[in-house]
Amino acid sequence: MSSEARGDGPDRAGAAGKSASLTVDGLVAGYGGVVALDDVTVTADPAGITAVLGANGAGKTTLLRAVSGMIRPRRGRILLADHDVAGRSPEQIVRAGIAHVPEGQGVIPELTVEENLRIGTMSWRRQQGLRAHRAAALEEAYTRFKPLADRRRKLASTLSGGERQMLVIARALLARPRVLLLDEPSLGLAPRVMAQVMDLVVRLSREQGLTIVLVEQNARGALAVADHGVVLNLGRVVASADAATLAADVALRHHYLGF
Amino acid sequence: MRTLPRRLGVAIIVAAIVAFLSIKLNAFRDYQIAEIAVDVTAVAGLTVLTGLSGQISLGNGAFMAIGAYTTALLLLHLNWPFYLVLVIAAAVTAVAGGIVGIAAARLRGPYLAGATLLLGVALPSIAYVYPGTFGGDQGLNVVFTTPAFLGANFPLTRWQAWVATLVALITLVLLANLDRSRIGRNWRAVRDNDVAAALDGINAAAARIRAFVVSATSAGLAGALLAIVTGLVAPGAFTITLSIALLTAAVIGGLGSLAGALWGSLVIVLVPTYATDVATSHGLSSSTGANIPVAAYGVVLILVMLLFPLGIQGGLQRLISAFFGPSQKSRTGRTAPMPHVTPSADQAPASQHEKEGTS
Amino acid sequence: MVEFLQFTLSGIVFGMIYSAIALSLVLIWRGTRLLNFAQGGMAMLTTYVAIEVIYKTHSYWAGFVIALVAGLVLGAASELTVVRPTTGKPELNAVIVTIGLLIFFEGLAGILFGGQYRSFPAAFSVTGLKVSGTPLGVSRFDVFTVAAVLLTTLILAVVFRYTTAGLRMRAAAFNATIARLSGIRVARVLTVGWALAGLLGALAGVLVSPATFLYPNSMDAIFVLGFTAAVIGGLDSPAGAVVGGLLLGVGLSYVGGYLGSNVTTLFALGILVVVLMVRPDGLFAGARMRRV
Repeated sequence: MSSEARGDGPDRAGAAGKSASLTVDGLVAGYGGVVALDDVTVTADPAGITAVLGANGAGKTTLLRAVSGMIRPRRGRILLADHDVAGRSPEQIVRAGIAHVPEGQGVIPELTVEENLRIGTMSWRRQQGLRAHRAAALEEAYTRFKPLADRRRKLASTLSGGERQMLVIARALLARPRVLLLDEPSLGLAPRVMAQVMDLVVRLSREQGLTIVLVEQNARGALAVADHGVVLNLGRVVASADAATLAADVALRHHYLGF
Repeated sequence: MRTLPRRLGVAIIVAAIVAFLSIKLNAFRDYQIAEIAVDVTAVAGLTVLTGLSGQISLGNGAFMAIGAYTTALLLLHLNWPFYLVLVIAAAVTAVAGGIVGIAAARLRGPYLAGATLLLGVALPSIAYVYPGTFGGDQGLNVVFTTPAFLGANFPLTRWQAWVATLVALITLVLLANLDRSRIGRNWRAVRDNDVAAALDGINAAAARIRAFVVSATSAGLAGALLAIVTGLVAPGAFTITLSIALLTAAVIGGLGSLAGALWGSLVIVLVPTYATDVATSHGLSSSTGANIPVAAYGVVLILVMLLFPLGIQGGLQRLISAFFGPSQKSRTGRTAPMPHVTPSADQAPASQHEKEGTS
Repeated sequence: MVEFLQFTLSGIVFGMIYSAIALSLVLIWRGTRLLNFAQGGMAMLTTYVAIEVIYKTHSYWAGFVIALVAGLVLGAASELTVVRPTTGKPELNAVIVTIGLLIFFEGLAGILFGGQYRSFPAAFSVTGLKVSGTPLGVSRFDVFTVAAVLLTTLILAVVFRYTTAGLRMRAAAFNATIARLSGIRVARVLTVGWALAGLLGALAGVLVSPATFLYPNSMDAIFVLGFTAAVIGGLDSPAGAVVGGLLLGVGLSYVGGYLGSNVTTLFALGILVVVLMVRPDGLFAGARMRRV
């Protein structure tokens, strides 16, 4: 895809089209009186899949929220390529190139599938021929995600769990991100559908050079697709290694990952 | 129970101060003392309802009207002694409060505010529907005289101030007891999280209805006092402006605080007179003068909510803590007068319906 | 029979006014979860602006248009200065803040314009219309009122449904988090919502003031009834606002006509109580947001 055809132009760090790394450096973040992330440093390599694992309450979702701007970090940097976006608002961060698919209900059930998708384009900068570009981008999404095409005028509330997941990922992709944050994409899905979602994730990184940060309870499944893994416990990084090494470390798996 | 003697002691001291002031000051000041006492009685009930049990009411003026009209009718037709009339007025209003509380038990937030707003607007119009009984627009006159044992020279205004102050103090002591009792604790629990309260075995609906009854009764007592202090009960005295003034006083004084009821009442009674005086002395028209306090209340309400949510009482407590160290009350975690958990400064900077979670 | 027709028609006219206020309240409620108690006060102020413009320029339409613009400005300004700081705080704070705004507007009007009742001109003739000799109980101005509110409502509905800006507002109202993560500047959207609500209020103000006269408290009763209409319809539902307004307007017209005007507010209270006891979230509660 050429950058003209993409029809967008959010403020990006670095040249458009090149894969970007995401580095979280010394991040401290929390809610009210609780510190959920304590001096966390994680690097997601460009065009790679980085799994963030750990038990409930470890800080995985908090990490993604801090990166996407949903919560304001108290200390630390968030570097997209070399550009620090810590402390910016979610609207600014998605324009910088980081898209976040939050855990759980990500669709807006009161809107149609098409409307949900169009929302994904709201971060695009105003420019010539915006409407045409938007329409083209939507068509592209429909081509890639056939079930959505079949239901484009239906309310999102009528979609199955797997279709909803597809919708939220498609919507996030429409923002043309360079980094995609996925929070428990397989949650509540049947195993077969889970596998399809994981396949999709892999293809996105291989084909589009998207840098993916994948938070998963299902550590085994995540490590099977990831290049690199980071294990959090009580807000701290307790392990960081390539996926194969982590998967082979039985003690670690038992202690922190539950398998 | 240990603190009841302390409260009574404070009440007696205040009563003595007021008696002294009423003797030293002129009749107009006596009238203002009575006005303040009336407002304190009503505002105290409202601050308990809104600050402690978290239910907003814009219709307590209607309960005042019920108390006032009951008093006027009883005095007019049966000429019973005032203390008896007072008790009956309180009982009638309590029943009304119960009815409203039951009807409103399922309502939350703006729905409750709207329903009570409409109540405040609609109820006084009954006086127009049955003008024979209620005197229509002209209202009913109330005759109230000083008792014989005080002698012929005891000014009526002073007696009115004493009676009003006495009733106000009794109300405050009773409300203070409720505040510290299990009932008060239940109110706070329901205010902060009624799901958790229910899990604790607290009957949330009953607690809310109880709060309405208490608040209505206070307002009814205030209405009865208003009847004997002003000598006239007419629908024009019970407009929505009254209900809003009560809420203003409760907020400015400090929501949930009984002392705040006093500060707030002082403000809404004394400021308008002062403002009108200042305005006319500067050559402004009296209608401008009358409206300056109104505009000022609006600004103050906004500023209080944005900057000093705990009102005057909160500010005073902070001052006292600054000078004397944290008091026993604040160390045992005197609950903030907010109807929901007060978020801290670090929470997500998004809209009111952001939901937090950890994982 | 003729009476019934007259009551029905005039009920529809007032009903449209209530619908306009109700709609403005719903707009703000869906976007910010707030009840704007100052809505009537804003409408009153913008109507004062209109009358001053009309006096100076001798043009009704100049006043009309400027009132609408003033509504947009006042709505946006209120949100930016006074309401924005209450986000994230307990909802009681926001309620009291809007009440404070209301009181401030009324005091301000009293200071700037005085408290006396002023008459406000109507755009068209207020003589009763007749159909083959039967008086209908409504005038040309009344027809204009209904048409103006309906047209504005329709335009807003179209904008919301079919434009990108409208989609932004709906997304922000349904799920502000998702909206922000998708790049929608929710804060800006909220300001626009308040501005549009201010416009609706201003419209209601100039349309109803010929009948009620203009004074600092003139919009209080209209606000209360508009509020009642919104609650009856369900605060989340724009359709409910319109239907609620019409039902209330027509219902109260019958009550006032057959039973006397003193009992109308009591009946409104009765209707509200009945509706809320049966459906605590309003008649059209199906459309409500999933919020914990």
